[in-house]
Amino acid sequence: MLKKIPKWNLVLLTTLLAEIIIFGLINPRFWNIKILLNSFNDFVGIAIIAFFVTFVIITGGIDISGGSIIGLTSVVTGLLSQVYGMNMWGAALLAVLAGGLCGLLNGVLIAYTRVQAMVITLGGMLLYSGIALVLVGMSGASTYEGISGFSQGFINLANGKIWSIPHSVIIFVVMLLIAYVLLHWTRYGRYIYLTGINQNSAEYSGINTRKIITSTYVLSGLSAGIAGIILTSYLGSSRADFGAEYLMPILTAVVLGGTLITGGKGGVVGTALASIIIGFLKLGLQMGGVQTQYIGLATGMLLIISVAFMGGQKFKVNVRRLLNFKKDREVI
Amino acid sequence: MSKSKFFKVFTGLAISTMLLAACNSEGAGSSNDGEKGEKDASDIEVVFIPKMTGNAFFESGNDGAQEMAEKIGFNVKYDGAPEGTVANQVQIINSAVNSGADAIAISSVSSDGLNQALQKALDAGIKVVTWDSDVDPKYRSAYINQGTPDILGAMLVDMAAEQLENPDEPQQVAWFYSSPTVPDQNSWVDYAEKYIAEKYPNWEIATKQFGEGNEQVSLQKGESILDTYPDIDVIICPDSTALPAMAQAAQNKGLNKEDVVITGFASPNSMRQYIENETIENHGLWDVKDQGALAVYIAYHLAQGNELKVGGTIDVPELGEVKVEPNTVQGYDYEAEDSGIIILPERIVFTKENTNDYDF
Repeated sequence: MLKKIPKWNLVLLTTLLAEIIIFGLINPRFWNIKILLNSFNDFVGIAIIAFFVTFVIITGGIDISGGSIIGLTSVVTGLLSQVYGMNMWGAALLAVLAGGLCGLLNGVLIAYTRVQAMVITLGGMLLYSGIALVLVGMSGASTYEGISGFSQGFINLANGKIWSIPHSVIIFVVMLLIAYVLLHWTRYGRYIYLTGINQNSAEYSGINTRKIITSTYVLSGLSAGIAGIILTSYLGSSRADFGAEYLMPILTAVVLGGTLITGGKGGVVGTALASIIIGFLKLGLQMGGVQTQYIGLATGMLLIISVAFMGGQKFKVNVRRLLNFKKDREVI
Repeated sequence: MSKSKFFKVFTGLAISTMLLAACNSEGAGSSNDGEKGEKDASDIEVVFIPKMTGNAFFESGNDGAQEMAEKIGFNVKYDGAPEGTVANQVQIINSAVNSGADAIAISSVSSDGLNQALQKALDAGIKVVTWDSDVDPKYRSAYINQGTPDILGAMLVDMAAEQLENPDEPQQVAWFYSSPTVPDQNSWVDYAEKYIAEKYPNWEIATKQFGEGNEQVSLQKGESILDTYPDIDVIICPDSTALPAMAQAAQNKGLNKEDVVITGFASPNSMRQYIENETIENHGLWDVKDQGALAVYIAYHLAQGNELKVGGTIDVPELGEVKVEPNTVQGYDYEAEDSGIIILPERIVFTKENTNDYDF
């Protein structure tokens, strides 16, 4: 089962290269490595959450609260550092932990009450964005303007560069490595797969699946917290509505990355490639002169086509059946 | 097992990245080499950014912008996302920088969230103009303003007063707009209240209600205003969602312009039916097509290498001469030689006579 995944990664890699070649032919500025690397800023938040939502989905769950944890983290950071005058980095750390706490709440409820993950995280999504709004109200800043005035050091977290490589690229790689090592090199990672393949038999073989499941939500919450800090730094202001539109892009990256939505199969390398593909697709289409409002169309098509092809053999058979069905009807 | 595969993929990526870097030896660079002086009009691209797409107000702004571009011969790319969020606008600004645009004209969703992105655009030699909704004045050259709070606040009160038989008598007045946190609408209402205190001291502000920019909420709030304050004389709605909802609420209750005066700001297309069936007498707005046209023209003018001078004037085809006012007219502290506000020459009061002349 696991052997199939790298094959899919190869498909993703080919897609990525094709994208780079085609968009470069349309607008040669796309081949500017600086522009490509800088564009990581625009999807690094999505990618970081997607890495760990991959864990969640492999266990057979789903986490849709990531986007609103971003807003909450952002507001907590702004509130602690700008309104209560805390040390910037301490505030950021606490805000990330708050994200982890949200994940813990999700995880405990899902693992120990066995209510559907979709329902719990949907509730969490509304709850966390609600808390974020209340907190902004407390800060005295209007929800419309957000909290601003961060130090240059904090702004540099996302906007800076090391040897002309943007920080966002480095953060992307570091988070990918952490996720990769956790999922593919450790026993913990193997337990995640086993839980997803069959929770009952995993339980019988001595794995505490509840802890495993809870921990994946905590990781997903922490990663959303980190994404929230990066986004706050990147945009230089903290607002409750940051990340509000990230729900679909996160799931798209995970599913396009080859992780099975029913659990048990998947990997973070695919997720990483898929987020780059989606990010570059957006960039390339924008640079090719397509209006941003039509770009969702392209991402949607990419997702549908690729997921259909992921079915492989089955897909071909089904298409044939579909076509035959049409022919039959014409005869009638 | 998967270890080696990961490295295969990783090396693949690394090699392709290096190949890319090699291809890029020319290094297009992200600056426009700081060229000065006249450029050919057709070489200039202005990116026109709305708060969100799919909204009648912004689409009409774009119509005006495109007409202006066609007349002069420069290019305007309309680029916005369906959800008006800071992250989306930042990405659109970045893409304008990446694709080598010369200027952007943006209606900002946030007064501070775009600062970093705009700074990068400015560093890349791109001219920045705002319209409809402003950013921190440090990060733009000109703001194409529909009117200062003084102008628009007074206009709201005057539109109501001219419908009353005797505006000097005591009147019950209600404010109804989107939210207590939206900066522009609040600034108009603040000034309007000062203006009322001076000019019509007998008017009493009965209530302030907020519709959250949501059609359903606005309709419910509108009905509740009429239920709770049966003696209300004037309801002023400086919000394009609240005004049609208020008119609909009055119509649902069988009221018309003789029973209660309803006025405010909204586009003529959304209000025409209420003017025609006499639910309301008038409402106002600025010509957003002119605003879009002016915004892209100023952006084009700056991209050509012209300097903006506070206190000076710019001759705009079709629209005439406009004056560059200092930032202080909008209440900013920041003042600079090359950062100012251009106020749209005129605003429109729509009535039965003229509403059919406009389509936006």
